[in-house]
Amino acid sequence: MCGILGVHHPFGLLADPADFRKALERLRRRGPDDDGVWSDHLVRLGHKRLAIVDLSPSGHQPMLSADGRYVIVFNGEIYNHGELRAQLDSVNWRGRSDTETLLEAYRAWGPECLARLSGMFAFAIWDRTEHRLFLARDRMGVKPLYYSWQGSRFAFASRPGALSLLNGAQGGDIDLDALRVYLELGYVPAPLSFYRNVRKLNPGHYMTVDRNGPHIVRYWDYRHIAPDESLRHRPEKELVAELDELVRRAVRERLMSDVPLGAFLSGGTDSSLIVAAMKAAGVADPQAFTISFTDRAYDEGPAASRIARHLGVRHVTEVVDVDSLLALLPQFVEEFDEPLADSSAFPTLAVARLARRYVTVALTGDGSDELFGGYHHYALADRLTPFIRWPRPIKRAASSVLACLPSHRAKMLAGALEPATPVGLFRYLRSYGKDFPLLLEDDVLETTASAQSWFEQCAASFARGLTSAEMGMRLDAGLLLPEGYLQKVDVATMTFSLEARCPLTDYRLVEWAMRLPVSYKLRGFETKHILKQVLCQYLPRELVYRPKMGFSMPIARWLRGELKEWGWSLINDTALMSRLPLVKTRVVELFQEHLSGKRDRHPMLWAVLMLLCFVAHHDCRHGIPEIMQPRAA
Amino acid sequence: MPARHTGDHAAARGVAPKRVLILLSEVFADGGIQRFNRTFLAACAQLPLHCDVFSFADTEASARTAPPAPNTTVRVFGRSKLRFTQATAQALLSGGYEYVVIGHVHMLEMVVAAAALRAFQGPQLMLVAHGVEIWTGVRGARRAALRAVRQILCVSEFTKMMIQKQAPELSAERFTIFPNALSDTWVARQHAADLARVEPQPAHTLPERFILSVARLSRQDRAKGILSVIEALASLEDRDLHYVVAGTGDDMDFLRQTVARHGVTDRVHFLGAVTDQQLVTCYRSCMAFVLPSGQEGFGIVFLEAMFFGAPVVAAREKGAVDVVEDGRTGLLVAFGDVVGLKAAIERVLGDASLRHRLVENARTTVTDHGVFTFEAFVARVGRLLATSRDD
Repeated sequence: MCGILGVHHPFGLLADPADFRKALERLRRRGPDDDGVWSDHLVRLGHKRLAIVDLSPSGHQPMLSADGRYVIVFNGEIYNHGELRAQLDSVNWRGRSDTETLLEAYRAWGPECLARLSGMFAFAIWDRTEHRLFLARDRMGVKPLYYSWQGSRFAFASRPGALSLLNGAQGGDIDLDALRVYLELGYVPAPLSFYRNVRKLNPGHYMTVDRNGPHIVRYWDYRHIAPDESLRHRPEKELVAELDELVRRAVRERLMSDVPLGAFLSGGTDSSLIVAAMKAAGVADPQAFTISFTDRAYDEGPAASRIARHLGVRHVTEVVDVDSLLALLPQFVEEFDEPLADSSAFPTLAVARLARRYVTVALTGDGSDELFGGYHHYALADRLTPFIRWPRPIKRAASSVLACLPSHRAKMLAGALEPATPVGLFRYLRSYGKDFPLLLEDDVLETTASAQSWFEQCAASFARGLTSAEMGMRLDAGLLLPEGYLQKVDVATMTFSLEARCPLTDYRLVEWAMRLPVSYKLRGFETKHILKQVLCQYLPRELVYRPKMGFSMPIARWLRGELKEWGWSLINDTALMSRLPLVKTRVVELFQEHLSGKRDRHPMLWAVLMLLCFVAHHDCRHGIPEIMQPRAA
Repeated sequence: MPARHTGDHAAARGVAPKRVLILLSEVFADGGIQRFNRTFLAACAQLPLHCDVFSFADTEASARTAPPAPNTTVRVFGRSKLRFTQATAQALLSGGYEYVVIGHVHMLEMVVAAAALRAFQGPQLMLVAHGVEIWTGVRGARRAALRAVRQILCVSEFTKMMIQKQAPELSAERFTIFPNALSDTWVARQHAADLARVEPQPAHTLPERFILSVARLSRQDRAKGILSVIEALASLEDRDLHYVVAGTGDDMDFLRQTVARHGVTDRVHFLGAVTDQQLVTCYRSCMAFVLPSGQEGFGIVFLEAMFFGAPVVAAREKGAVDVVEDGRTGLLVAFGDVVGLKAAIERVLGDASLRHRLVENARTTVTDHGVFTFEAFVARVGRLLATSRDD
């Protein structure tokens, strides 16, 4: 894990070196081991290093190619860099780092080198001859890459906070499209970012910037890969063996490290499989880390211990009071320089803090839920799809009957009848508010695009003939996974200078999962069927098929208790509220409805509170972002 | 014309023309099915048949735009289901038809029921299966009705496969692959050198170098692949290349939004509804015709593009694979594969010899005696109705 930063101007009007340093310092947690700045008359590049491979100074960045033509700043890991070195046999290697390999690969193959890379990465290469900046982000979006324009000046960074510092106050206006999608979904999909002048490079894309301006290209895509129906006729055993081999290879590749390495173990299917595969790959003494809660309702600790014991790995558990995680809130707000409503960031922060005491690199199980159908939304989408095809008058009648029923499930179903397409249905199932009206003012709603349009755009390139469940998985893999979950893992681990690696986002695994018919993923109410079959090879069935508690936090309870005062104080802060185009009466209504216990409104409420917290914090701390001008009453 | 037909030549000679009842959803409007219907009628006009055409959706006004051929009478019903059903039942009861061509699966059950009223000497039923309307939903009454149909004319292999999948009891002889063709009007315009009627549409509104799509832009059917082309265009190194979309529909706002998101607003042009003349100008002046559609029952626009000399890039999906042969008459990419689409466009634009080869090969399928010519289509209709132009 590292932090990268850079600025380019076609006529050399670069940022003030002191501002640049300050912005680089914002990335210090991403790379505490070393830093460096390189500049010429058109570009300035900065790097913060967390040393993982080749700890010697020969891994220092920004790094120049042997011929001096290219300069690179690189965040991430290239797992197959050994193989690439073998293919680049004419190169006179100066060190052992994957950065040098990447640089030489680009020198040899240009942008085509991306197709040969296996890894997680966000990097920038400056071509001193052609005066062209080349930036790329890995296929699934494990590593973040933000960029911004100020006139002709182009800047990029690992985090938007650093860009804001670099750009001064102008970088910080809230992007209203992003705000809207955030309130609907709880995260901000690429290429949007929370700031108006800042964009994220989409996963699987590269970008060049030169005198002619920017040029963005998609170099890899999973969306068009259709399920291969012929796999239905293969014995399941064969497919299980194939998947097992893919997982093991992905894990094996990710063991490349010169520093100690471990894994998060939540007790669920994914993390157990990762730990099992580590053991199978012959890691001498793998360590697994678990946060165990004193509150039995949330505690997966005992299950994780049994799994670790069975697999024979060293297991480190930290027992915490679930309420003590609240102490991480200030850190959460400080480090997440883009609002994120996912409350599982808390346990992720806690387990990252624990793991960092022992190791520098940790493997995680992220990605499998989206690829193999781990969320109940998928099966639900399939079950509800026949109803959205009903004639409109019948739907309307059924919906009004359901809406009158006292059960909140009935109300949820009533809303699910509204959409006309599977994509619309899935957007509804994924949205936070469901039947609660949007909190934004009407003029903002009129001028911004809803989450629906992002879903539809993503779905437009899907293979034909997918079921609603398969569409849902692909939508999640394209939107929620990179900009929600993987960003959460990246920032949470970065906070403690820990590098997270996600074997289940390996692109060969992703392509394989896309070809796998949905019947191997969902079986009735069983999720991730095939992945569980793989895990059954390592663990007894009762450990694989035990009831799962989930990684959720007692946010709903907190908001009715410990956090009630805090929540009200944020909502009643008139100055703060006036910076956002929210309808205050609706926000108050939302909170009151939650407090009354009639409905559990915590996801939407939490999203609003995180937003307010974020705006308050980032405004007063750095003077940025400069929030929208106070609105006329 | 091929000399031999399945029908009995001798018997047909000198005998009164066969009477055919043709039931169509719509004829005189835009759209792939409508265009097929017009081509079908134009073919019938050249054969010794007497055709009664019932058009469900057309009105007197729309029908006036094209006078019927001497051997054809056209009745229109302005979307009145009741009148259409009544007239069909009456026509079938009064008898005298040898064939009934059912132009759309939606009227299948009704026609089969009406035909059953004449248990003896009933006409032979034929169904035209275009594409998406029959890829699903063949069960219950529809499946039973399908069994009463003597011939199912499928515009593509894919459509045939989808029907067989749903009704495996239907034997292979029941199916005829009946590919679409360029309608005679296009051919007439090209051949008769009355290009004056076609060409003079000024091209000054079109960009200098552009790729073209022609499609209905419907929110319900985003599978035309327009969004992929927009994304691929944004990816292309060639920033002077523009993208022209001819066609209209209710999805314009979303498409414009997408164009803006990809930052190519100044390079994407939506022409809306265009006249035939404008369309010909577009086909003639584009660098490539790109429509990576995932839902094409047949894709007559590909034939048009081929006819007017535009290299074609399409998706390897459904009916399109019957029309475009990958590497020979066009390039095929996976539906939704933006990376592959970008590469295909770059290949076509960057490799002059490939472009030339594709265009030449494609032309042979839509000119002379190619499989997609109007002559071949007339021959197919002739074979089907056991008669031919020779008679």
